[in-house]
Amino acid sequence: MKTKKWLGLSMTTVLAAGMLAACGSNNNGGNASPSASGSAPSSPASSAGASPSASGTDASKPLEGNLVLWTYFDGVKGLAEQFMAKNPGVKVDVQIFPGDQYQTKLMSALQTGKEAPDILDLERGYIGKFIDSKYLADLSSMGAEDLVKDYIPYVQALGRSSDDKLRAIADTSSPGGFWYLKDTAKKYLGTDDPDQISDMVSSWDKIIELGKKVAQDSGGKEHLMENAGDLFDIEAYNTQPWVQDGKLNIDPKWKDIYETQLKIRQNNVDAKLAFMSAGWGNALNDGSVVLTAMPAWAGFMIDNKDDKAKGKYGVAKTPDGYYSGGTYHAIYDKSKNKDLAYEFIKFAASEEWQKYNLDTTGNMPGTSKVFEANMTTYKNAFTGDQNVLQPFYDMVKSIPATKPDKYGEDILSTWRKVASDGVTNNKSYDDVVASFKKEVKNTFPELKVD
Amino acid sequence: MSKYITRGILYLFMIAVAVTCLLPFYSMIITSTHTNSDIARKLLLIPGDQFMENYSRLKESVNIWRGFANTVFIAVVATAINVYFAALAGYGFSKFNFRLRNGLFMFVLGTMMIPGQLGIIGFFKLMESLNMLNTYWPLILPAIHNAFGIFLMRQYADSSVPTEILESGRIDGYGEFQIFNRLVLPIMTPALATLAIFSFIGKWNDFLTPMIILFDNNLQTLPVMIASLKSQFTSDFGAQYVGIVISVVPILVFFAFMSKRIINGVAAGAVKG
Amino acid sequence: MGSKINKSYYGYFFVAPFFIGFAVFGLAPILYTLYLSFMKWDGFTDPVYVGIANYTRLLHDSFFYQTIGNTMIIWVMSNVPQLIISLLLALILNEKFIRGKHFFRAVYFFPHMVTAVTLGVIFSLMFDWQTGSVNKLLMDIGLIHDPINWFNSPWWSRTIASGVIVWQYFGMNMIILIAGLQSIPNEVYEAAEIDGATKPQVARYITLPMIRQVILFVFITSVIGGLQLFDAPLMLGDGPGNSVRTMVMYLYEMAFKNYDYSYGAAVAYGIFVIVMFFTALTARITRTKE
Repeated sequence: MKTKKWLGLSMTTVLAAGMLAACGSNNNGGNASPSASGSAPSSPASSAGASPSASGTDASKPLEGNLVLWTYFDGVKGLAEQFMAKNPGVKVDVQIFPGDQYQTKLMSALQTGKEAPDILDLERGYIGKFIDSKYLADLSSMGAEDLVKDYIPYVQALGRSSDDKLRAIADTSSPGGFWYLKDTAKKYLGTDDPDQISDMVSSWDKIIELGKKVAQDSGGKEHLMENAGDLFDIEAYNTQPWVQDGKLNIDPKWKDIYETQLKIRQNNVDAKLAFMSAGWGNALNDGSVVLTAMPAWAGFMIDNKDDKAKGKYGVAKTPDGYYSGGTYHAIYDKSKNKDLAYEFIKFAASEEWQKYNLDTTGNMPGTSKVFEANMTTYKNAFTGDQNVLQPFYDMVKSIPATKPDKYGEDILSTWRKVASDGVTNNKSYDDVVASFKKEVKNTFPELKVD
Repeated sequence: MSKYITRGILYLFMIAVAVTCLLPFYSMIITSTHTNSDIARKLLLIPGDQFMENYSRLKESVNIWRGFANTVFIAVVATAINVYFAALAGYGFSKFNFRLRNGLFMFVLGTMMIPGQLGIIGFFKLMESLNMLNTYWPLILPAIHNAFGIFLMRQYADSSVPTEILESGRIDGYGEFQIFNRLVLPIMTPALATLAIFSFIGKWNDFLTPMIILFDNNLQTLPVMIASLKSQFTSDFGAQYVGIVISVVPILVFFAFMSKRIINGVAAGAVKG
Repeated sequence: MGSKINKSYYGYFFVAPFFIGFAVFGLAPILYTLYLSFMKWDGFTDPVYVGIANYTRLLHDSFFYQTIGNTMIIWVMSNVPQLIISLLLALILNEKFIRGKHFFRAVYFFPHMVTAVTLGVIFSLMFDWQTGSVNKLLMDIGLIHDPINWFNSPWWSRTIASGVIVWQYFGMNMIILIAGLQSIPNEVYEAAEIDGATKPQVARYITLPMIRQVILFVFITSVIGGLQLFDAPLMLGDGPGNSVRTMVMYLYEMAFKNYDYSYGAAVAYGIFVIVMFFTALTARITRTKE
């Protein structure tokens, strides 16, 4: 549930960037992407009635009409503006509902169907609850399989319902990595080279040893990691699903993870700063913590007033690749503008937009094509001449592709809550599992818990 | 001498409580004028110069003034309805000796015992089926039934509305509702004012109902906006503080002018109840 | 009086709006909630009748029992100090020699004018362990060395939640108590003065017994209000180990966060039973005392 909040935060920065960029650009059709739009050969039967047929994107008829889009994330405005710039006949009304109530609003609107949007955004944290509902249009039958054929496996899988149909598509992947201030890294790790550092932290055992050293060298003042809780994020999607065949399933790997977290805490490896808290942000900026596990979209947390953070940072790989959050665009099944909405989704999935988005906001693309094409040319302001796509790409490729389910994220956040409490109070793994099971049983009485 | 010491202690106690009441608000206002990094690092006691900066970040995604206006609108309309219908029924119970009077009045009092959240889920579903979600109707119309108000109004009508007025009205050829609207309501003004204060404070505070009923940001009320500040501006404390300040300061100003009236109204209402 | 009897059926027209309003916006939702509590419904699919399954679940729901306990604890922690403070202040402010009465009454009442949600947010910001002013203050005056993570401790969290409620209501209750005090005729005090009673004696043996009705009124409203605690604690969160989650917060979470509307409906009726029970209990206790 936390991710949602983090995403909300990025509004100011991302929006500002998006707006500026949108004003300056005028690339109508010129360098339209080769893959996405052109190669959709047969649009499905569903496009029969409406006027702007799906096949006519580039050449024939210009698109016309109005779309209503609901989102919780300000950054989506940038996407809508680019789409409108490309299709002057289309007006996309982006309605942003930040905060915790978006889900409830969405739910009421979909149920009543009265003021429901054409396109709705779903966050990774709760897409599982909506994905199998009758409210989302089947994108596969509209030809969307073609849009995601080059996608990073996990990114496209998260938009699939349990019958394997595509129901939503993201325009970004949200990989995370260890961000570090180069000066601090040099001081405590002896190097600021991302590859060498990636190597030094390639396993949790190495991290604990290294962390002990950092704590010692600094007299306990500085720490290697922000928080033992970072392991929840990093390992969450590298473990088995929480629910299998209607039964709660606790991956045995969680035992190792939990014990690693205890060791991290006991050996003063972490600074006990919660992700996105004020202290966490300070540590990221002043280097009192060496490595900050942070998704690429959270770059706005780096204070870059007057370019002071320019080129100061590096990104190293985490022991396992991870992502955090993700915004998925879906079409309301009863929308009257399904075909136009599909054009919008198509644009979001295009290399053209994703490249543009990478350049302007630093959000990592969802398709491998953009990663591969810009691997050595893309430079990020914070990370200077590092080819920062490389570590992220290596990591995203390794993340297993799993479909979302209605329990996963809720159970994960329950685990996060119970296990964090356990780490703080130094409880045994068995105690943690016992109280975890109790909570799960209570929230989801229909699940088998033994 | 000891008399002065006791008095000194009493004053000290009162001042201490008063400071506790105001200090958090002072701290809010001061904090809202500083940068995030200062908020995170220092104890702030004197005003800074970052208020507008923080405000502009807040303004970008939250239209707090709109929320303010919405809440005022809802509270005023609901209060007017509440007061009018409470007076109507209170007067009806007071001056008309219909057969079921006592039974119905007991029923009215009985509804006061029902906890407010009992029907909230059903209320939500019902408003959905009446197509009233995302409108102000569900926030305003329920003000028609206010048992406490009826009780208060009946008390007042019993004691302060002379029955002769009704009779003289009837002799003048007024209908029953004309008598109420033209002759009785003006007499009941003091009680109306008291009830209005209660009702307004209650509506102003209303949180759960607008939160589940309204989706549209432009319709949203202030308490709901304030509640979502925390999740929206996770680590942007400056913007959060500004939001709080904006929601508190107008009340502070309003209260500074009206405090005597409000407090006397509350006291009057409480003694009757 | 003759004309009154002739017109008395008009009374039905005057009271009718209340009953219509109550039927539509009060009773119907309550009955609908009752109906839902016998269903299984998550908002995505159509409701299915499940009999008393939700209530059986509720009876075995240890988290629900925990919320009852939390509500009681927060109620005691907030209302006991709150009633004492408001009574003390009412007695003091009722003294003739005190100056600036209106100023103090206004200042004490002011927190009540600010919405509970705002108060909750203010407290959660003030007690934020990294950025809050409370820790900063304590560290600056040297009481503590490291910031205290208030919301990591169940008892601190409950204390803070209770603090918000004390802060919000003591001024309001004080005003009511003062109103009660002022209804005591002056002759009573004069008589006591002639008999040579001291101030505390007057308060103990004369004033308090005479305003007992008002104190009871304040007490009963605080029982009913206290059992329905929601807004302010919601802003502070569930607390560690759910130690600040109140009954109504649980209802809200079940229905509007987990979308388990049907179970939420059963929780609503569970709360109803508990509120009725405690209201009856309070009424019984106060009656036997008389």
